[in-house]
Amino acid sequence: MSFWRRVACAVLLLVVAVSLGASSLAPAGYAKQDREAAGAPPSHAHWLGTDEIGRDRFARVLYGTRISLFLAPAAALISTLLAALVGGLAGYLGGAWARAAMAITDLFLSLPWLFLLITVRALLPLNVSPAFSVLVTFLILGLLGWTAAARVLCATGGSLRNTDFVRQARASGIRGTRLFWIHVLPNMKPVLYAQFWISIPAFILSEANLGILGLGVAEPLPSWGSLLKELEGLVSVGEEPWKFVPLLLLVIVVTSFQLVLSKQDEVAA
Amino acid sequence: MFRNDRVLTDKSQRDALLSAHLSVQYGNKPPVLRGVQLDIQHGEVLGLIGQSGSGKSTLAMAILGLIDRKRVDAQGSIFFEGSDLLTLREAALRSLRGRKIALVLQSPLSSLNPALKIRTQLRETWRAHASGSSADCDSTIRKALESVSLPSDDDFLRKYPAQMSVGQAQRVLIAMAVVHRPALLIADEATSALDVITQAEILKLFRELNQNFGMAILYISHDLASVAGICDRVAILHQGEIVEFGNTQKVLTSPSHEYTQRLLAAMPRMPQASFAAKAAAR
Repeated sequence: MSFWRRVACAVLLLVVAVSLGASSLAPAGYAKQDREAAGAPPSHAHWLGTDEIGRDRFARVLYGTRISLFLAPAAALISTLLAALVGGLAGYLGGAWARAAMAITDLFLSLPWLFLLITVRALLPLNVSPAFSVLVTFLILGLLGWTAAARVLCATGGSLRNTDFVRQARASGIRGTRLFWIHVLPNMKPVLYAQFWISIPAFILSEANLGILGLGVAEPLPSWGSLLKELEGLVSVGEEPWKFVPLLLLVIVVTSFQLVLSKQDEVAA
Repeated sequence: MFRNDRVLTDKSQRDALLSAHLSVQYGNKPPVLRGVQLDIQHGEVLGLIGQSGSGKSTLAMAILGLIDRKRVDAQGSIFFEGSDLLTLREAALRSLRGRKIALVLQSPLSSLNPALKIRTQLRETWRAHASGSSADCDSTIRKALESVSLPSDDDFLRKYPAQMSVGQAQRVLIAMAVVHRPALLIADEATSALDVITQAEILKLFRELNQNFGMAILYISHDLASVAGICDRVAILHQGEIVEFGNTQKVLTSPSHEYTQRLLAAMPRMPQASFAAKAAAR
């Protein structure tokens, strides 16, 4: 493992550990309002200052990190499983199945990802509970984000269909469904792992985009997207630099993921 | 398109384990098999010789019902234990595959699933046609491994194909093929990828399986020496047609067809014989 990959792993572990310790590190919580100190700069009591209604920004960053960092893998898992089912299975079955699956995939891929997300999210009720908004946001990401991975897995499934070991398994009388689950799917693992890890930073960024537009996780729950929304009213960078901490964290985490993923790409190749 | 235009008249063909009369064509391309007619008797080892592209593997796949029925036009019949395999539905064919007719492919390491342990692959083969406890399954797969002279301990069963030699992998494939004691074993170039010593061991194993279990073997190969060593009868396949068919010794010592003569003439000789031939030429 290269030096930078090790550093990236350490950074990710540190961010996860700190976000898990949010209740100890920021006991005030993400929703408690200190009206006396609304929009306050960093201080001993509020390390990153407070937002416009007096909530501790440090606590919100930690809790927001927890939400973004733990739900993005959940969405990535959904999208990877869907990609395996739609792309992998269609590729393995071949013929009309593969053509139909790829036609649907191409249709999804031809639509701009962010506009698709915004449209679908906007079609759903916006006035929902915070917990439901988290669920909806990441479900949308998972349910719409499988298409690119499906294309890769369709090609993988197609190549596995013609392997000697699949022919040998068929010649042993093994049924089609069992053949796919037990014999074909395990051979897609390297591609599935790579697609899973690649999806995580993409989904973190997508959630942040939705959050900036007010279509992501609902208040008072924080997420990186809703925290970045604060930057909307910023006049100059030097004015309140502490507001950039969520953005910096997002850049660090996504970059770290990319560094770790370079290994996954090699495995998939 | 499948059509049964076979009329069984000859007694040996009626009594045969398998009797085929087959033509196979992929789309509008020239036929791969043209009126191939052969029979395999119970407990015999039949050799099928032909060069690459002559249609040997197509015949094997047709017997197993593994040719794509939508893309391939197969006409004629393949009678096996009284049923015409060409007219059977997929479910009926699947119940025969592995249980009555088994296959061993050429490349052992690519024919075993690289992602699965040997135990899993053997269990899967057993479960395809049997039900019972894990103990029953393990007992059967251990017996199958022992019948091909492989260790049956847990350490071996935990191995992945990449952790085995080519010879061991080929024996595992054969063990998988004989788990259900099929009546017919199709060995499609099963010794072609092996070194000569391993090849001799696998041939000996085929002979033992044939003698001990009465298993008929369709031994497909382009290697005349191995066919001569194991087969009772031999069929020579050339450009999709059987050009010669009969007793192995007779066909290989006094070939009547020009193609068989060419095959025998092209057979590599032992160095000493080659030196003698060179000296005679001088």
